[in-house]
Amino acid sequence: METPEKSVRHADDKVQVPERETPTGLPLDGEPSSRDKVKSSVGRGKRVTPEASENATDVASSIMPADENARPPARTEAVRKRSRGNARPPESLTIRSYQVGFGDCFLLTFAYASSGDRHVLIDFGSTGLPKHSDRATHMHRVADDIVRRVGSEQLAVVATHRHRDHISGFATAADRKGTGDKIRACKPRVVVQPWTEDPDLPRNSKGPRGDTSGPRVRGFIAALNSMHTVAGAALAEAKRLEGRAPFGLVRQLAFLGQNNLENLSAVNNLMTMGVDQRYVHFGSESGLERFLPGVTTHVLGPPTLRQSDEISTQRQRDPDEFWHLQARAQTFALNASGSGTPESRDTDGMSSSEELFPDAARLASEPPPYARWFVPRIRALRAEQMLEIVRALDDVLNNTSVILLFEIAGRKFLFPGDAQLENWQYALSKPEVRDLLRDVDFYKVGHHGSLNATPKSLWNLFEKRSQADSAPDRLRTAVSTLSGRHGEEDRGTEVPRQKLVTALRDSSHFTTTQSIAATDLFREFTYELD
Amino acid sequence: MPQEQRGRTRPLTIIAQDPSVKARDGSILRASVEVTVEELGPGPWGHRVQVIDSDASTGALYEPLTLPRPAHAISTVADDPFSAASDTELLSNPKFHAQNVYAIIMRTLRRFEHALGRRVSWSFRGHQLKVAPHAFADPNAFYSEKDQALLFGYFPSSTVEGDTVFTCLSHDVVAHETTHALLDGLRTRYTDPSSPDQAAFHEGFADVVALLAVFSLRGVVEVGLDEAGGRKGGGTQSASEAGPSTVERAHLTTDMLLKSVLFGVGEQMGRELSTIRGDSLRRSAMLTPSADILKRPEFIEPHRRGEVFVAAIMRTFAETWAARLESLGDRKSRRVDRERAAEEGAIIADYMLTMVIRALDYMPPVHMEFGDFLSAVLTADVETRPDDERYQFRQHLRESFKAFGVSPASPVREPEAGLWEPVDATDFLYDRTHFDAMQRDPDEVFRFIWENREQLRLCDAAYSRVLSVRPCLRLNPDGFALRETVVEFIQRLDVAADELSGFNVFPPLDMPPPTRVSLYGGGTLIFDDYGRLKYAVHNRLLSAERQTRRLAHLWKFGAFEQGAAFRRQFSSLHRARATGEISVHERW
Repeated sequence: METPEKSVRHADDKVQVPERETPTGLPLDGEPSSRDKVKSSVGRGKRVTPEASENATDVASSIMPADENARPPARTEAVRKRSRGNARPPESLTIRSYQVGFGDCFLLTFAYASSGDRHVLIDFGSTGLPKHSDRATHMHRVADDIVRRVGSEQLAVVATHRHRDHISGFATAADRKGTGDKIRACKPRVVVQPWTEDPDLPRNSKGPRGDTSGPRVRGFIAALNSMHTVAGAALAEAKRLEGRAPFGLVRQLAFLGQNNLENLSAVNNLMTMGVDQRYVHFGSESGLERFLPGVTTHVLGPPTLRQSDEISTQRQRDPDEFWHLQARAQTFALNASGSGTPESRDTDGMSSSEELFPDAARLASEPPPYARWFVPRIRALRAEQMLEIVRALDDVLNNTSVILLFEIAGRKFLFPGDAQLENWQYALSKPEVRDLLRDVDFYKVGHHGSLNATPKSLWNLFEKRSQADSAPDRLRTAVSTLSGRHGEEDRGTEVPRQKLVTALRDSSHFTTTQSIAATDLFREFTYELD
Repeated sequence: MPQEQRGRTRPLTIIAQDPSVKARDGSILRASVEVTVEELGPGPWGHRVQVIDSDASTGALYEPLTLPRPAHAISTVADDPFSAASDTELLSNPKFHAQNVYAIIMRTLRRFEHALGRRVSWSFRGHQLKVAPHAFADPNAFYSEKDQALLFGYFPSSTVEGDTVFTCLSHDVVAHETTHALLDGLRTRYTDPSSPDQAAFHEGFADVVALLAVFSLRGVVEVGLDEAGGRKGGGTQSASEAGPSTVERAHLTTDMLLKSVLFGVGEQMGRELSTIRGDSLRRSAMLTPSADILKRPEFIEPHRRGEVFVAAIMRTFAETWAARLESLGDRKSRRVDRERAAEEGAIIADYMLTMVIRALDYMPPVHMEFGDFLSAVLTADVETRPDDERYQFRQHLRESFKAFGVSPASPVREPEAGLWEPVDATDFLYDRTHFDAMQRDPDEVFRFIWENREQLRLCDAAYSRVLSVRPCLRLNPDGFALRETVVEFIQRLDVAADELSGFNVFPPLDMPPPTRVSLYGGGTLIFDDYGRLKYAVHNRLLSAERQTRRLAHLWKFGAFEQGAAFRRQFSSLHRARATGEISVHERW
């Protein structure tokens, strides 16, 4: 049941619990919700975005007692039985969606009557902040807010996958004052990451638990690493092509290249900051069992290679090989063109300063007249090619996303990271998982609302979708995104995809970080649980 | 320039397949191919091909190759700057790479022109195809219509440290991409979304042309025979340093030819290139024939389906060759002369190349299926070469396709199964059109089509247009000449999904009623020497069953989605082939 911030029991005397101003005394998702905001909004009155006012009445009805009765008690029983340790479930769950522009950052606070709050931070990263925000300080403000909320209580971290827009906030700084240092200082009990991040995998011939396809797993991990090389090369090439290839192409290339670079400090930080490091896959334990008593956390993705094999139509070629070739080819090109950065050189066993044809005669840099039509075209084509390649590798990394479904007292909260269809496919092929997903209450929209991260067969499962604002228990959806960064409208690839946003808006209480007011840091939703 | 001094062709050195296919002495296997003499500019830059050696990855622009003008009417190797070059020079001199692509592209183009008996255009407006032999550092090579170009990538070898793999040095890759540029011009509509067969055909056909072109070089076939002999320990004959000069008959059955000769060459070919050419030779040689193979879900995917097409053709090649070898030389002898066996293989590959290209003129301009190809290849062959006693290509084709579950689209049984049925020329009105104009003027031909729309069973409601009028003169192996005029027309009807039932076409159940749907139909008309209609190969717009099936397929695979058109470019196609990407109907 959603209630306002009264459920926030964090004892911080600087924080004021706002007074309800709506007649119903009910929460509004468009409400100023950050504590900073609450403070500053005192005496100013509340601004309610159109979106929020649309949803207001519905929120009201969704907490009607009648709804409570409608929930089948048997189901709750079953859930309880499955919960670990038979511990008392939390009394409420507050989900905070932070403003991180193009990125994800969600803080889940599970309020326990006896043992205090437990916090789960799902992702903390950004590749583009909204115009109004201060680039230098914004991510620090978010980190500080998280740290303040966690206080002396316990924190767990979930890093769904290694894209910059999900983990850049975990990066540390030389002076130990980076955002990642701040999170580290909270001493996370558990850090949950996909099996593909397990540092022991490349050395250990075994795959994730139950998967013994060692060489293939190693190949796949190596391919993921090659992708960073490709991304780095793409970025370098984007710089070189600036002004020589169409602007839009180069901009997108730089954006995707950036997002797929290896985030070394963030990766290392995530690898070492948890008391318990967990690398999960479909069907594995989440590692949060003891951390969250009374909560069942289902891991629905990513599948292991073996699991994907079960459902994919025989993979006929070896995609890993493609990425190695690509990485080598691009490193080679950078070295040959002399535009290689020191980091991009010497990877993959390439020596620096190679020339394709050291003895061949070349023409001056200005093409002769007969080649002036062609040479610029081939450069533009090259940029298109690179973009396509980087898009493909972006997809592969997205599909390593951890998909978590929290089940608490019959309520379900779904956090799929950036998982796209290829990741979802395995979970969706299981009838019992499909059943599990039917009554999802909260859906974190996959991949910032892109066209291929909310598979239609998933969306169609959600039974709590409703056109009616006032429907009891109506599905809530939240997207963390920033438009105009990724994809193109005329190709139907814009993010967020308008068609999807329309469907979300029509059939759920939809919120987007794009409507968070400039002065606010986050938006929150509280679910009262029994 | 005095005409009498100009010869017709000149020899140029090319790498026979790719640098990893070696001759018996361990050097790179080369071939000297005859290329039409023309007045070349620097590049080479001829009337159909311009090589521009520009590298977008490094920004380099290499000096063009200027081929010397042949000194005599009969051109000799003295006019070939690389006839005596070392292997190292072939690999390290970009000018040789320019010669290699120029010669292979011209040779492929000439094969098309020879087979079709006329000039064949590229698919873009313009005469000269641009070719970048070192376009970028990328394991990819493709045809870009909008850039009017073939682009060949290069990348560092992952097996031999320090080596570079050049896609422009692979005969099959160059021929494959050239075929895309030609096929796209001959059958523009074959890149449209249609049936699974049509999606598979572009890749499959390009592979077939590339492989047959490679096997039409005797040296490559010899390598294959050596592989077969070596592998099976057939070289009991005291092998001289140059290897055995005979091959055991036991190695020359259809299955053995497929599994050792073809597969063997496939094994030798640079494995690193398999990411772009998809290993079609090895895979097709190993594909076990099965009548239901095309119904299996994994063979709906265009590349895998294309492999079935390649397999059916390569099996025909092996069967024809095996049958021919059986009757060769002294039948009691257990061994066959190696060079002779290789020569037969090369001749068969060469003729089959002509056959499959000729088939294009007898194929419908829209919505082709493999059965259409089979009827077309049989009919085109009967027209130019009625007597098929010696090689029995047509019988082998029928059997091989049947083994893969493909039967001819035409139900005709006599005089030979699967031929297109000739039209009754007397049904048609000719007296309002002029013979002379009918051979070149699209408006005149359109008048003929319009006047005869009832006989041709056109859709009255649709937009109709003549795509091409192509007079041709085809020569059969005996020098017999066949004059034909080939005309393509298409029809298009744009309707909403809920109007379709009025045409007996049924849209998929979950297609929203207002969805805009374009139905295409079209035909190929073949006129004889006297301007009378001989064949009308027509996929009718109102063929309800085919259109219903097509819509169901397209709907399922997302062809109606926004942005779908962007996913159909050759470059992406090849990459999808490398990464095994799947396209699914789950997007927004």
